[in-house]
Amino acid sequence: MIQERRTEELHGVLGMERRNFMPFVAAAGVLLLLLAGAVIVLYNEQTYREAKTQQVEAQSRILASTVSAALAFDDRKAAHEYVKALAVDPQIQTAAVYGPQGQLFASYSRSADVALPAKISEAAPTPTGEQLVVTTPVRQGMAPLGTVYLQTTIDPISRRFERYAVLALLVTMASLIFVMLGVAQRQLAAANERLRRQGHDLVDANEKLRAQIEQRETAEAALRQVQKMEAMGQLTGGIAHDFNNLLQVIIGSLEVLQRRQQVVGDDAKRTIAAAVRGAERAATLTQRLLAFARRQPLNPKPIDVNKLVTGMSELLHRTLGESITIETVLAGGIWRVNADANQLENALLNLAVNARDAMDKGGKLTIETANTHLDEAYAHTNEIDPGQYVLIAVSDTGAGMPGDVLSKAFEPFFTTKDVGKGSGLGLSQVYGFIKQSEGHAKIYSEPGEGTTIKLYLPRFMASSEATDLPLEACGLPAGQSDRLVLVVEDDADVRAHAVGILNELGYSVLEAADGAAALQALDAHPGIKLLFTDVGLPGGLNGRQLADEARRRCPNLLVLYTTGYARNAIVHQGRLDPGVDLITKPFTFAALATKVNAVFDGREGSHRASAL
Amino acid sequence: MRRKARTVAAVRLLLVAIAACLLSLAATHARAQTPSVEYAVKATYLYKFAPFVEWPAGAFEPSDPLVICVVGNDPVADLVDEAVKGQAALGHPIEVMHPGASSPDARCHILYVALRGAAAASLLERVRGKPVLTVTDAANEPRATGIVNFVVQDNRVRFEIDLRAAAENHLVISSKLLNLASRVSPKP
Repeated sequence: MIQERRTEELHGVLGMERRNFMPFVAAAGVLLLLLAGAVIVLYNEQTYREAKTQQVEAQSRILASTVSAALAFDDRKAAHEYVKALAVDPQIQTAAVYGPQGQLFASYSRSADVALPAKISEAAPTPTGEQLVVTTPVRQGMAPLGTVYLQTTIDPISRRFERYAVLALLVTMASLIFVMLGVAQRQLAAANERLRRQGHDLVDANEKLRAQIEQRETAEAALRQVQKMEAMGQLTGGIAHDFNNLLQVIIGSLEVLQRRQQVVGDDAKRTIAAAVRGAERAATLTQRLLAFARRQPLNPKPIDVNKLVTGMSELLHRTLGESITIETVLAGGIWRVNADANQLENALLNLAVNARDAMDKGGKLTIETANTHLDEAYAHTNEIDPGQYVLIAVSDTGAGMPGDVLSKAFEPFFTTKDVGKGSGLGLSQVYGFIKQSEGHAKIYSEPGEGTTIKLYLPRFMASSEATDLPLEACGLPAGQSDRLVLVVEDDADVRAHAVGILNELGYSVLEAADGAAALQALDAHPGIKLLFTDVGLPGGLNGRQLADEARRRCPNLLVLYTTGYARNAIVHQGRLDPGVDLITKPFTFAALATKVNAVFDGREGSHRASAL
Repeated sequence: MRRKARTVAAVRLLLVAIAACLLSLAATHARAQTPSVEYAVKATYLYKFAPFVEWPAGAFEPSDPLVICVVGNDPVADLVDEAVKGQAALGHPIEVMHPGASSPDARCHILYVALRGAAAASLLERVRGKPVLTVTDAANEPRATGIVNFVVQDNRVRFEIDLRAAAENHLVISSKLLNLASRVSPKP
């Protein structure tokens, strides 16, 4: 490429020089030719005149020599014969011999109208126009005897120029060749220039094409990644949902056992507790799987990220230990974001744990917040919406990640930690949560240089106050028997577990396996106060539809949803509808007790909200 | 002084030449040449022959004058002194001598014989073999001729040349002169 360009430039330079010089060279050549032709003509002319002069002088001298005796002995007849002998030269116009006193002695004239000087004085040969006059003294021995006078015509200019016609023709032809060469050269240069320009265009087009291909490849890679994550999400989501149901049964059963203290001994209690802990850990894992699958129910509220990070500092210090310093760089005037505060804390905690594990020998964890704008190009490449985002960047000074690890870092169950040390779900939770919150997560890392993970959450534009309402569990609020609860759940074990808890809490409980049965129960028992329904139901009506129909019949009915994961029926784009109460499976005895009580207590507010 | 003398001589020659020319023109018209002009022309011719004659080596020393000897008396002989005055030939000044018939000067280059009969023949015989251009006049003595012999044809002074006599006297006559001669014997 560089070589090509250089060659091209070289060509350009040469082409330029040729273009600039060639016409001048041609013109100069023509000029030189013409000049040379003129010089040759002038030289020839001069040579011709000199030769002619010499010739005439020779003739004159011969005459002078031969006529000397005739002159000396006054023999006009002989002199006349000598003079007349010159008539054979057609160019001689006049020949004459003058005596020692300059008087005419003998003469010959080709035509009558040639005037002869009556007397002669010796003079240099004087070519005048087309005439050449030569005089030569006649001597014999040392004695001057007289003068010979010769007048000749030189070739008329027309005849002389006939001789130069060939030369002129040659010069003209050479000039023409020069001119044609110049023209041809010029056209060639122009053609070269066009070719060069086309070559440039081609290179540009090629460059553009290459850029497009690269862009497309990048986009395709990103898309593949997204699709892969999507596929993984569906897979993990499906498994997690089923697991949640199973865990609900396990946990519920274990809790039943725990509460029946009279039946079990201490040893059995410890065993049951261990089983519950295990089940709860399994539940946490499935929660994370759901988070990655973006199917965890979120409860987004407008939150101040700076406040959230500040609030986490104590927790982070405890998590990271003494060897790691924490620095927070919080931008002033930070925008608010609409996100689930608990899940965001979870995500930051996950990142902090990962950072700690990357910094064996200590280091520094930096959390920065900033207002940013993601432009069209970046947004397009990463399949998000362009616009204003709040950035939370978590950087460590740890080992960093090589490229191949980086590309898989967000995938579930991918971990570089030793077996048993990490679940491989930490970053997956972060990724799923951020995606579900319509944000964007990006990892920057170089081996040995540390890692920065940037979380972008969309700016929240509404003006309502940020309200953090931590859900406090305060004892186990007991139920009241006049509060009739209808439990709708297709899974018999789960339904039995839920019914068992509610009964134990003191609520009156009815149960139904699907929507139709539930509606019949509602019609049969107008005293039902609370509908506790699974979101996913068989038999045509899902939980949401059932609730809507039930509310239509009994407007004051309270509704509490439960789900392994939340589908769009209840969660629009992964978010809880305002005014909808939900408890996720698997739920504990205490969680359900608190939630149901809350629903009954918050009756007024939630009812108003749902009516809206 | 010298220049003045030369100028005078030139003027005199000029006058003579003009006179000759005018006379010759007049003669052409009149188809007749008066005897006195004829003698003057002959006297002038004597030294004019010199440039057309090649003497053998040694005949001239560079400082020597060209010596014209006139032997005998006739109208020409009287005019020679006048004719050569101020003239030069072949770069030599011209000297005219009038030796006696019995002892012509040994230095003579041109000998004009104005004698008649046996005297002329014996004089010519005496210079035979010597580098002397002998000039005679057919009008004086047609039978005793030298190398050059004046004749008058068509009222013009011409001359005949005897090449054998010239060869005997070791002289080479220029072909230009031969061309002007009215007769050259024997035929070259």
